[in-house]
This record gives sequence, C-alpha cells and structure tokens, in this order.
Amino acid sequence: MRKHHIHPVRVILLILFFVSAIMPLYWILLTSFKGPKEIYTFPLQYVPRTFTLESYRKLFSFTSFGRYFINSLVLAFSASLGAMVVSVAAGFSLSRYNRKREKHGILLALYFTQTIPTFILMVPLFTFFSKIGLVDRLWSLGTVYIATVVAFSTIMSKSFFDRIPVSLEEAAKIDGCSLGQSLIRVILPVTLPGMAALFSFAFINIWNELFLAVMLLLSNENMTVPVALNSFISKAGISWDVMSAGIVMALLPTMVVFGVGQKYIVAGLTEGGVKG
Amino acid sequence: MEDKTYRWFLVPALILLVLCIYVPVLRGLVMAFQNYNMFDLTNIHFIGLENFSAVIRDVHISFGQILANTLVWVTASLLFQFVLGFILALAMKEPFRGRGIYSGFVFYAWALSGFAIGLTWAWLFNGQFGLINDLLVRIGLLESPIGFLSSKSLAMIAVLIPNIWYGVPFFGIMLLAALQSVPAELYEAATIDGAGRVRQLFSVTIPYVRPTIISTVLLRTMWIINFPDIIYAMTSGGPVNRTNILATQMINKIFKEYDYGQGAAIGVIIMVLLFVYAIFYLRVTGRQEEEF
Repeated sequence: MRKHHIHPVRVILLILFFVSAIMPLYWILLTSFKGPKEIYTFPLQYVPRTFTLESYRKLFSFTSFGRYFINSLVLAFSASLGAMVVSVAAGFSLSRYNRKREKHGILLALYFTQTIPTFILMVPLFTFFSKIGLVDRLWSLGTVYIATVVAFSTIMSKSFFDRIPVSLEEAAKIDGCSLGQSLIRVILPVTLPGMAALFSFAFINIWNELFLAVMLLLSNENMTVPVALNSFISKAGISWDVMSAGIVMALLPTMVVFGVGQKYIVAGLTEGGVKG
Repeated sequence: MEDKTYRWFLVPALILLVLCIYVPVLRGLVMAFQNYNMFDLTNIHFIGLENFSAVIRDVHISFGQILANTLVWVTASLLFQFVLGFILALAMKEPFRGRGIYSGFVFYAWALSGFAIGLTWAWLFNGQFGLINDLLVRIGLLESPIGFLSSKSLAMIAVLIPNIWYGVPFFGIMLLAALQSVPAELYEAATIDGAGRVRQLFSVTIPYVRPTIISTVLLRTMWIINFPDIIYAMTSGGPVNRTNILATQMINKIFKEYDYGQGAAIGVIIMVLLFVYAIFYLRVTGRQEEEF
C-alpha cells in the first residue's frame, strides 16, 4: 500500500493552487504596508524595504473609515443574527410541515428568489423606503439584507432539521416540554453547527454587499465599507496607498469569519445549498 | 401528527420575502414598461416596449456586443472555475498532513467581497506599477509594462482571471465533498476489473458526482450572470464596451444614467435568459424534478 506516498504531480498542483490563492492577498497586504513612495516605483519590491502603517493612518484620519467600519460591523452582525433567527424558525417549520403541496410551493418560491437579480429590486426598494421616510437608515438596509439571505438560509436550515429525527421532539414533549421549550432546549443544541453556518453565510454576504447599500444609503456618516471604497474611486484615479489599506480592512472580517466557521460553512454549503 | 404552531414559524420569513423581494420584483417588472427616469420623475407613464427597444437599438452601445461579452464572461468563467475547481478537489481528495489548514488557504477567496477582489486585481493589473506587468517584464515576455485594463483585446481576459480565481473555491468545496462521498468499494472493484486511473476518473468518479456537477453548474451560472462587482471595480465595462456585460450595463443605466426604466428592462432580459437557460439545461441534463 502506498497510502502515505504523495504523487509528485499532486504536490506540484497543490503548491500551484496555494501560491495563486495567496498571491493577490499577499500583494495587497504588502502594498498597504509599503507607503506611497515604494508603491509607485518600478521595478517593484517583492519584499518591502520599509514597513509603515502610514496608509492605515491616512485611511482612518483623512476619511471617517472607523465609522464606516463600525457601521458595516453592526449592520452585518445584527442582520445576520436576525436572518439566522428568522431562517431557523422557517427552516424548522418547513422541515416538520406535513402538507406536501403547500410545502412544495413554498420551497419553490424560495428557490425562485435565487434567480432574481438584486438590481431589479434596488429602485423599487429605494422609492418604497423614500415614500415612507425610511431611506438612508442602516436598519432599513439591514431588513432588506435579511430578506436577501433568508431564502437560501431557510433552505439550508431546513436541511439541517431534516436530519434531526422527530422522535427527539416527541421525547421532549413526553417529558413535559412545550413546543418552544423543546425547540430551545432539545433541538437547537443539536443544530448549533448549522446555526454557525447560517450566521457565517449571512455575515459574509451582507458584509460584502455593495449596490443595494449605494442605492439605499445617502449620507456620508451612514456609509458601509464597500460604499466607502466605492467613493474612494475618483475621476483622478485611485491613490493606492489609502485604497490598499481600505481593501485589506474590507477583506479581513470575512476572512476571519471563514477561518473560524469554515467547517460549518462547508457543511452548510454542501449539505444544504445544493442538494436542497 | 403536526402542531399547527409550526406553521406560524414561517410567517416572519414569508413577510420579509414578500415585502422586500416579491413586491419590489413585481414593481421592477412594471418599471421595465414605463418611462421612469430620475430626472423626469413627474412624468412616469407606460411606454410599452420602448425601454427594450432603446436598450437593444442603442447606437452607442451595441447590444450584440453586450450579449457576446456576457456569453464569453459566463462560459469562460464557468469552464475554468469548474475545471480548476475539479482538479483542486481531485488533488485534495486523499488526506495529507495539514489538509485542514491547506483548505483554509485555497478556499478563503469564496468569502471575500467581489468588489474588493476586483479592486485588488485592478491593482495587480495596473498599467504602470502592477505586479503582473512586473512579473512579465522580469521573465522577458514583455519589454515594458502595458495597460491591460485599457487594452481592447486584453481587458476581457484581465477581468476573467479574477472571476475565475474567485470562483474556483466554490467548485472546489462542492466537488471535494462529492468526491469524498464516492464509496471506496467502487474504486476497488474498478481496479480489480483492470481500470486505470484515467478510466476510473471517467467511469467511476464523474458519473458518481454528476448530480453535484449539474446542480453546481446551474447555480453558478445564475450567480455569474448576476455578478457585475468585479467588472464594475476594474473597468466598469470599458474600454469601449469590451467588458460590458448585461449586469454591468444595468448598473450603468441605474447609477450613471439614472434611467430606471431601461435598467429594469435589462433586468427582465437577464431573468428571461436565465429562465430559458434553466429549462433547457435541466432538459438536456435530464434531471428529474427537484426532490424536496
């Protein structure tokens, strides 16, 4: 048996994939620590001669990036939490639903939302929110975000609950638990990995969203990180020192979430997303 | 036996979907048939198919070119994302030391912001100080740096590469999971029957993971066609429309021309194309109705 022998072709492939996956990230990190002088010299420095936080200092002092970062963080965190609660409830309900045709219809409606381009929603949402005076509010954008992820999250959460036997609830019922109690005390602990997947999935999608935010947020103080990056692109071009620092700040949080939740995200995507 | 309370748990999700997705979509569909311009908001009225004909007969921006670009964008992205993702999954299938950490490094791109990725690659492809120019000059393929993003012939390749880079992890994750579910006995039996590695790939592995391939490709197509972020960040459709796809054209109509009617018309065109594609695709791949 050659169980521990790795074929050289495989090793080369694994290295190639690794290098190309890392390279863009390495480069943008490197750029953000270089300082403007070294950024704009050719030929380029692959290992920085100087290490400076100048670009980050500029980013946070010349723009209100701290504020945008907090906006994004609060928005993504609370909307993901909201999306998780709503889709856990809906997924549980669908999983235990016994009217076949209704269940089918609802699932179809959920799948259908996946084909809708978000851009077609933007203008109607904007006019709707301006009519009721709720445009340019982070929480109204947050509500929209919950709606944009809730379909996929519900499909995912349904598939998690499908794998939990109904007998578990019945046992809880016999022990005198109400429905709510059995959901919280018995079912949820078993589905914690699934909840982690739902949360990370929502967080990643919401943190990264650009166009709805551009449409629905108007004032400078409400900008999210992607909107801020978008505003850094001027007619005169991009100043890459500040921009690279901004990009790093935009990439970091979802990388952390992916790093922590990878196991759950992968399980959620493969079990929930596609197989339905 | 069923508790009726269960059904109430669906209500919040359904309310959100109806209010924030379905109603706006219907409104958007109506908008596609209206004169609806930010600068002319007092004059909103039905104009039949005029938005569609304005988009299709645009003299400055050839609709044929946009369609062709969209086709190239979707097919090339999908093909390379899939093939590279499959190779990555095959390479990762057998366990090796540090595979968990390794997968974090090759899959993390899935979680990143498409817009920020586009900006990152705009910097990598920068015409003066970009890494890619520098590398090509160093190995002697180029004499001096060139402006990839302003070149009519190279811009499409320059936006495709980041999109492929961005999408490989999704296929990698999906296909790796599918590959790991292939029972080892199948390979043992194939080996006994004298099937070589390549033969095993085509007669055991691929047939077994076929359902995953079919559904991931369909999902991904829908996703890629609706994904303007990278192009928007890198070229916003230019130079001279060489990278302009339906989705970026829609963004331009909404954010640059403020012509919401025409923007919505492009949205409708995208939805119709996707719908036709999905039906055709499911026919061809012969997939039975989704099992719930």
